[in-house]
Amino acid sequence: MPTITTDAPGTNQLLIGNEAIARGALEAGIGFAAAYPGTPSSEIIGTLAQVAKDMGIYVEWSVNEIVALEAAAGASFAGIRALAAMKQNGVNVACDFLANLVMSGIGRAGLVLVVCDDPSAISSSNEQDTRYVAKWLDIPLVEPGDFQEAKEMTKWLFDLSEELGTICLLRSVTRIAHARGNVKLGELPKITRKAYFDQIQDIRNPMPTKYIPVPSPVRHFFQHARLNRAREKFESAPFNRYVGPPSPDLLIVTCGSCWLYSLDAVRALQLEDRVGILKLGTLWPLPEKVLEENLARARKILFVEEIDPFIEQSVMEFVAGAPFLDRLPVFYGKRSGHVNAYGELNPDMVIKAISNILELTYQPRPLEYTSEAESFRKSHVPERSMTFCPGCPHRATFWAIKNALKLDGRGGFVTGDIGCYSMAIGPAGFLQVRTMHCMGAGVGIANGLGKLDQFGFEQPVLAVVGDSTFYHAAIPALINGIYNRSNFVLVILDNSATAMTGFQPHPGTGMTAMGESTNVVSMEALCQALGARVQVCDPFDLKSATATLLEMMAEDGGPKVVIMRRECELVRSKKEAAPYKVYVDQEKCIGECCGCDRLCTRVFLCPGLIWDRKSGKAKIDDVICAGCGVCADICPRGAIIKEAR
Amino acid sequence: MIVYTKSWQDLFAEVIETALCTLCGACSGFCPYLTYYRGRIAVLDNCTRTNEAQCYQYCPRTYIDLDTLSRAIFLSPYSAEPLGHAKAVVMARSADTKVRAGAQYGGVVTTILSFALQKRLVDAVLLVRTLWDKTPQPFVARTTDDVMQCMGSNYMACPLLHGYNQFSKEHISGDCRLAIVATPCQVLSVAKMKSRPPQNKLNIANVKLVIGLFCTWALIPDRFSSFLRKAVNLADVIKFDVPPPPANRFDIYTKSGRISLPLEQIREFTMPACAYCTDMTSEFADISVGAAEGIEGWNTVVIRSEAGDELWQRLTTEKKVEVGELPSSNLEHLQAAAMLKKKRAITELTRKSGDQGNLLYLGLSPELLGKWVA
Repeated sequence: MPTITTDAPGTNQLLIGNEAIARGALEAGIGFAAAYPGTPSSEIIGTLAQVAKDMGIYVEWSVNEIVALEAAAGASFAGIRALAAMKQNGVNVACDFLANLVMSGIGRAGLVLVVCDDPSAISSSNEQDTRYVAKWLDIPLVEPGDFQEAKEMTKWLFDLSEELGTICLLRSVTRIAHARGNVKLGELPKITRKAYFDQIQDIRNPMPTKYIPVPSPVRHFFQHARLNRAREKFESAPFNRYVGPPSPDLLIVTCGSCWLYSLDAVRALQLEDRVGILKLGTLWPLPEKVLEENLARARKILFVEEIDPFIEQSVMEFVAGAPFLDRLPVFYGKRSGHVNAYGELNPDMVIKAISNILELTYQPRPLEYTSEAESFRKSHVPERSMTFCPGCPHRATFWAIKNALKLDGRGGFVTGDIGCYSMAIGPAGFLQVRTMHCMGAGVGIANGLGKLDQFGFEQPVLAVVGDSTFYHAAIPALINGIYNRSNFVLVILDNSATAMTGFQPHPGTGMTAMGESTNVVSMEALCQALGARVQVCDPFDLKSATATLLEMMAEDGGPKVVIMRRECELVRSKKEAAPYKVYVDQEKCIGECCGCDRLCTRVFLCPGLIWDRKSGKAKIDDVICAGCGVCADICPRGAIIKEAR
Repeated sequence: MIVYTKSWQDLFAEVIETALCTLCGACSGFCPYLTYYRGRIAVLDNCTRTNEAQCYQYCPRTYIDLDTLSRAIFLSPYSAEPLGHAKAVVMARSADTKVRAGAQYGGVVTTILSFALQKRLVDAVLLVRTLWDKTPQPFVARTTDDVMQCMGSNYMACPLLHGYNQFSKEHISGDCRLAIVATPCQVLSVAKMKSRPPQNKLNIANVKLVIGLFCTWALIPDRFSSFLRKAVNLADVIKFDVPPPPANRFDIYTKSGRISLPLEQIREFTMPACAYCTDMTSEFADISVGAAEGIEGWNTVVIRSEAGDELWQRLTTEKKVEVGELPSSNLEHLQAAAMLKKKRAITELTRKSGDQGNLLYLGLSPELLGKWVA
């Protein structure tokens, strides 16, 4: 049984941050949770979906983030506590609704939006800092500093949301979301929920209940009042705390995972008696009294936070507007250059910042350690670039795309977005993808490019999207192209899964988050109904896939759709054995000679192929090879043999 | 023969991007990098080889020394005669009336090939087949019927040797013997291969017979096909012909009669590369075949090599062909036309190089060159 449903209050469980948030939501008695998958947020809904039936809650993978948030708001309007989860990019998608929801207010039941930011953009296209959304749209914001807090805050935030009648935001980061720690469990509520939309909220003022953002100035005013009430709650919240001497030489103000980095740094420097740490858990509105009390402790203040200077700027703004200090302290942080205003931080960076400010010399290890470690690593771990899995249909698709574009010869190119197929910006996909922004952006960009013929633009444009991305973000752009007769080919890489985030089902898979079979939204029927010419290809049939692309590119008159359909290899291989045994006929392989020049191991680059330096021939790595057999079709000498198993 | 330390990039810089490429297909379809597609050589990926790249080596528009080639193929120095090395020049036609009926002129090529296949002198023939859109495609014929399907001149440049390269990969270890029907530029590439056998291709010694075609120019395949599609119903086209001067016509024979286009209209579709070609009669073939101008239903045949001669003897002995003497006026006219092509090409090459002594790809001693331009 998954640990998040363990009904043993007071016991400890080892949970990742996202599981702790899910458990917090269960302890808060949620009835509804919705999300679109996105690293590092995916496990929140993934975990809740697994226990949904047991816990009597409803959990869904929504088609995209705005629908997820709207659906969750719907539940709140009907009195069911609801949670929506997404990554930082997802908030952009949801923002239009979010801005209006803040004005309309939520329903009877609490509504929490969990956002997992991805400092350093480890699994993202950008590293935007979502905390500013709270300040921008007037939403109460908290951020957990450890796993226990992740659970406690989630639960606490539902009460706050309900009490204030506004959506509340919980921001987490990758190192909280995906790291694992002890979490002491609380009570799981035993409640029966009855959902209903209350037609009349106030019997003394019997107007129909309406969730509307107008009149906006009035509602804006009231939202500020709610924020002030949130601030009062925040002043006494258990999530803000100070550790250190009463009057330290340096005060660190921090939040989230940086709280742990700061603790480590101070301990490593053995400065517990000189440096104090104010850890904030409630970030917006600022807990002003907490700040007032603690900022006075030191003359030097260092802000340690990921990614942007949110607390730094907010605190400086606060100090400027409320001169409660007899003398302004010196502020250190991103503005002063002591802490990076980009990327993830780590204890070393905090050590460096503290040492710099306090003029200490700290050398944790010999200077040559880094270079030695690097050369040791290189001797044991081969250099590898990001690549598609062996057997991945995308490799075959981009091979066909590359060849089709080269054969076509008009300088065509690919616009893309994010997903596994983003790796085609690199050698894995033969450097084919030339634009990458948000989900679906490639299709929108292709819309523009496809209308430039009057300016002499003659290059074919292929827009690639994943299957999940197609449903999420490409449909309006396709409609726009059909409406405005833009010339491009939409290539849907249909691997029947939201593969990059962990194979979550989507509207095309016939499966729900809770494991129930459901309607399949047929992408080809949809595209055809919109009026596009549609072809379905098997990317492993390189010849016909290439020919189809060439044919579609040669056609004018609005968007064409090519669906490259083959199941994600990681999904397929869980169900059945490899279709082929693949080996290299050492006699036939001509290696580096004229006529091949190592096409398979130099250009095609499937990790299942290895170059044997000694023999000067290619080989198959049987451990890695997925047995897809595509390399047999690209070998110019017929030296790679595939035998049906 | 010179061996180059050159790469595909050099081939592009020196030949393809300078309009010297004849689309013969010698660089195409062998490796996974260069391939013919709709009238161009497409580069699918970067090959890193900078040494002995065979795409460069066997291109008929990278350096060739005619004398060296002649010594390798005919065991005699290059003569610089208008028709090249020739044992005999005759007029001939197929003895088979059925072949003659479907042939461009006298059906000699079809007859030679059928004979070679039937007598098991070769196992297959690489030649040109015309597709539905009238563009030419390399085709490997294994039976007389296959050969019959390919009768008639196409007039569009065909990457015939793309077909050789592909066939080559499939029969690398086999002993399949091949005949090739080729235009002068293609024959030149095969001659290069004969003088220095390629690696990882079909053993060039297995190419037992090279039938060369007379050629004055070729048309750019896809551009001409698109033009043709607008001019006629492609399905009705039976054959093309360029009647001898002073007709100045390009004739399209269709089911509903002949359509004649002024030659000037066709010239815009000619391969620019053809202006730099000095060879009208496929001088390095075993046997060259063309029209016998003004004598309907007959071919002019140039017997060149020992092998060609031997085969021709058998064909005549077994009465597969009817042979006649080529009227001397015809011979003189043919020689004059061949010489005109050489002179024009030398002028164009000199103009292109901007240097009197620089004939770009063509290696020819001043003495031999003197014979041409005197």
